[in-house]
Amino acid sequence: MDTALWLSNVEARADEKFARARYPRTLAILFDPSCALCRRCVHWMQHQASYVPLSFIPCTGEQARARYGDIPWLGDELVVVSDAGEVWVGPAGFLTCLWALEDYREWSFRLAGPAFAPLAERFFLALSHRRRALAFLFEPKCKDGTCSLGR
Amino acid sequence: MSFDATAQNLVTVYGVYASASVGLTVWLARTLSKNGEVFLDDVFVDNPRMAPAVNRLLVVGFYLLNLGYAFVTLKAGADALTPVQAMETLAAKLGALLLSLGVIHFGNLYLFHRIRRRAQIRLAPPPVRPQMHHPEPGNAQVYSGSQGAFG
Repeated sequence: MDTALWLSNVEARADEKFARARYPRTLAILFDPSCALCRRCVHWMQHQASYVPLSFIPCTGEQARARYGDIPWLGDELVVVSDAGEVWVGPAGFLTCLWALEDYREWSFRLAGPAFAPLAERFFLALSHRRRALAFLFEPKCKDGTCSLGR
Repeated sequence: MSFDATAQNLVTVYGVYASASVGLTVWLARTLSKNGEVFLDDVFVDNPRMAPAVNRLLVVGFYLLNLGYAFVTLKAGADALTPVQAMETLAAKLGALLLSLGVIHFGNLYLFHRIRRRAQIRLAPPPVRPQMHHPEPGNAQVYSGSQGAFG
């Protein structure tokens, strides 16, 4: 059998399989730019290998308000929006962020499973609601969590 | 028990053991490669040249491990003085060989499973359902019953 033909057949099947798979092709991550913890997480994510292109948008910025202003959770919770317009909020957004990263996708499925989901949800909510109070971890002088990390 | 009879017993044990171990190893390796190829073809859709290569390498490793182990444990020595002892020795050796083949075989299956899982995770959608659909500004639609953090 002609090897080149066989390979092109297999490659065509592979392309078709990828095209048929339904998953977000890009993610927009709306984070709270006034919180040192959130900026730190964004910095960390930007240095991780990701399966899909990620864009990080400050949720108080002009772009976020124009494009995503009618998402009710914007500003209070982490909001992740896909290219198809799916919106994940709070703990679900946190898991979707993990899903996007090559090294943490397995963990996103593990944490979404029945054993870990309640724990993951509580963990994320606890972090999220105390995000300003936790800023001192990153900058001891920081009183209200709104100061810059000086990066 | 004369020397000749003992030698005869040993030769019989060695002959049966060697032919059975080689035959079993070859049969298992062929089964593994034939069925593994279908499996790997599905796994390496994005890099089809990998499937036959990985398959060949796994089979080579399988041969090395099994034949090496079979030959190392060939020596029966004074355990085959009588025909009954020879029978028992043969059974013990073949049993140990089969058990080790089984362990290696299931190890291989687990390996295939891991490889396949890694390939499948590449195409998997996020583990949590979105809370909302937001294709464009002013067209937001919150899914009903999506108050729970994981949709």
